[in-house]
Amino acid sequence: MAQHQVNYLKDGGLPVALTTIDKVVNWGRSNSLWALTYGLACCGIEMMASGASRYDFDRFGTIFRASPRQAELMVVAGTLTKKHAEFIRRLYDQMTEPKWVISMGSCANTGGMFNTYATVQGVDRVIPVDLYLPGCAPRPETLQYGVMMLQQKIRRESASRAQKPKRLM
Amino acid sequence: MQQSNRLRPFFENITFDRADNEMILNFGPQHPSAHGQLRLMLHMQQEQITKAHPDIGYLHRGMEKMAENMIYNEFMPTTDRMDYIASSSNNYGFALAVERLIGLEVPRRAKVIRMMLLETNRLMSHLFWLATTALDIGAMTVFLFAFREREYLMDLIEDYCGARLTHSAVRIGGVPLDLPDNFIGDLRKFLDKLPENIKDYEDLLDTNRIWLMRMENVGVISTEMALSWGCSGVMLRASGVEWDIRKEEPYELYDEVEFNVPVSDKGDNYARYKLYMAEMRESAKILYQVLDMYEGTEPALMAHAPQYISAPKLDIMTQNYSLMQHFVLVTQGMRPPVGEVYIPTESPKGELGYYINSQGGAYPYRLKLRAPSFWHTGILTDLLPGHYIPDVVSIIGTTNIVFGEVDR
Amino acid sequence: MRAYTPKDNVQKKPYYTDRYWVAPQVAKHDVSSDEVFAADLEAIKAKFDVLDAYIQVEQMVVVINAHDNFAVIEMLKNERAYNQLSEMSAIDWLATEGKFEIFYQMLSMTKRKRVRIKCKIDEKESIQSVEKLFRSADWSEREMYDMFGVVVNNHPFMKRILMPDDWEGFPLRKTYPLQGDEFAAWYEVDKIFGKEAREIIGPENRDPARIDRYDTERFSRLGHEVPFGTDITQGEPDTPLVYQESEGVFLIEKFDAEKSVVISDRDR
Repeated sequence: MAQHQVNYLKDGGLPVALTTIDKVVNWGRSNSLWALTYGLACCGIEMMASGASRYDFDRFGTIFRASPRQAELMVVAGTLTKKHAEFIRRLYDQMTEPKWVISMGSCANTGGMFNTYATVQGVDRVIPVDLYLPGCAPRPETLQYGVMMLQQKIRRESASRAQKPKRLM
Repeated sequence: MQQSNRLRPFFENITFDRADNEMILNFGPQHPSAHGQLRLMLHMQQEQITKAHPDIGYLHRGMEKMAENMIYNEFMPTTDRMDYIASSSNNYGFALAVERLIGLEVPRRAKVIRMMLLETNRLMSHLFWLATTALDIGAMTVFLFAFREREYLMDLIEDYCGARLTHSAVRIGGVPLDLPDNFIGDLRKFLDKLPENIKDYEDLLDTNRIWLMRMENVGVISTEMALSWGCSGVMLRASGVEWDIRKEEPYELYDEVEFNVPVSDKGDNYARYKLYMAEMRESAKILYQVLDMYEGTEPALMAHAPQYISAPKLDIMTQNYSLMQHFVLVTQGMRPPVGEVYIPTESPKGELGYYINSQGGAYPYRLKLRAPSFWHTGILTDLLPGHYIPDVVSIIGTTNIVFGEVDR
Repeated sequence: MRAYTPKDNVQKKPYYTDRYWVAPQVAKHDVSSDEVFAADLEAIKAKFDVLDAYIQVEQMVVVINAHDNFAVIEMLKNERAYNQLSEMSAIDWLATEGKFEIFYQMLSMTKRKRVRIKCKIDEKESIQSVEKLFRSADWSEREMYDMFGVVVNNHPFMKRILMPDDWEGFPLRKTYPLQGDEFAAWYEVDKIFGKEAREIIGPENRDPARIDRYDTERFSRLGHEVPFGTDITQGEPDTPLVYQESEGVFLIEKFDAEKSVVISDRDR
């Protein structure tokens, strides 16, 4: 996890009152989160399993899209290495607003068991993260519960959040 | 508006001084069909590939260096993450290498349980391979069906050791846990249903025109290329070389079970696909025989070698010397003799080998992991030129590469 | 003054040293005990200088001079039917001898035998590539160069393979720390945001046991020891799993634990 204190509540945080337009927009956004396939390592397999037949992701309205331009949710599943860090930042920048990031698994949260020279110690060193899921690998139910919590978070936000994107620093 | 950073766009495929029609396509490290983090730079002439350059290392986590800083038992969960689709095979390879280094003999029940784990992992891996390759070609039904079978197997493994994906179910000296009561019954029920499920996949794919057009005569690997590139496993057997380490250099109880080794001499994608389906049937055959072997074995699960292996938990909690020895082995680590060993095993992907050079200390001096997918990715350099872009996807699919292994 | 820690091997050392421990050796057998290996060794000895040869764990190990490596492997491949190079890599002995030990693991499928060829080179010396004989050596030698800095001659593409192209340092050397030197620690920050961002993002957290006491409630009470069984919840209620907000969401059916059925029979 990041040592630098990122205040995620500052931009687009909990508003005083949500208007009906906000509620409708948030309802739409939260119930059709299109996820970017970002399975890097073992957690990617659990992400695929959570999208497969037993733990279905389609019932959330989540379809896995390959292109960052068409996706809103980036599920970083697996170890981020320093060689790859540049590319995850590029893909995050290419995603269109509004966008959210779920960091799935220990390797994405904090570098995991790989306390080595080539692993980024936590994906939040390069991109801002909304939700951290613990586990190695987290069960598919964990990922689905995480998506449900993210949906609740989205519904609490102000819909005009898109004007002020999250900044890492 | 956007977070400013130093990354600027780069264009590989647009060069303004060239006169030929060559295009450089970057099949980037994040790609749904890349099976992980493979970056392929393809030089193309109007859709046909003239040169392919695979770039790996995007999942390099430094496992070999970690091993030089950890005791042997501590390294076991790290081996899980190498070929993360069939984790127990990696654990087993490592345990076997250390046991051969020490010269340990594992009790029979542990061998039977290890065989069950190995073959179940082989089934899981082949089902996953089928699911993802079919998904890449476009057959999503097979993806969903194969994952359904895989979920049943993962349930079984979860009943056994508690984890679905990264098992660490095999330890140096045996296995730590005995089978739960429902394991054998449930596994038998699954194996009874497996042939009809495999038949379902074959009905969908075998004579399917699209599948045949994508797979036949695509990605032909000749015998010399396969041998020269260090291919192993199905890649080698599809090119006509009859080499299966389970038959040629048997380990565990593979010399006591009867099974066939399917071989093909065509070397194309379709041959590899047929071999994987045949191997699934052979694994089921082996599992039936192994299930019958479980009954008469004595309940010993770990080898008896107090210098290297801790005593069973019952002894540790009741006998003082067992507790003291267990404490020393956990804090200081077991110290194998000075020497080196290279032990290959037949993992679902190919020849998985562990080279351990021990200097008598608690940490290995050098541990090299021989991952089959490393060279299966290298062979793409020589294999891809001459094919078209859709063939790239199907070839990467059938080479069955896992990037945890390639990059370690 | 702090204690002197030698820098030629910075890998972790066991905490306790056993002063009178003599490590046993894995048994080395004479090559003459196996006819196939003896014949192979005779063929090698006829043309090359063999420094040592023995059988260990059923595989023959032959130690040769580094400049002979291509010729020996060529002979084994063409004349002695060793048709696959399973693996090759290096071992770092710079701390004790100042040399790298390169090993080639070869397999003969027809004879069902494995042989290991070993040779030693100095740190600045380079070794001949065997890529012309086995294409698998192409990538193995690149990995060896990447991890150890062993330069290989006559290689078609001697570039880094596992680490990024602009990486400095050779990771698997004993002088390279497991967690990386300063270049490694700031690599991704420098590359993406630039050196100015180092203070803003902060150093990596390499301490696996670091706990921030004020980060999470009820996580750990550092600094206070309480008797076992004391209530440390400070009045906070247990958080139940909440799938949706309590009012429910429009058109989405609210999860109700009473109405759901737990299926325990797999055949259903």
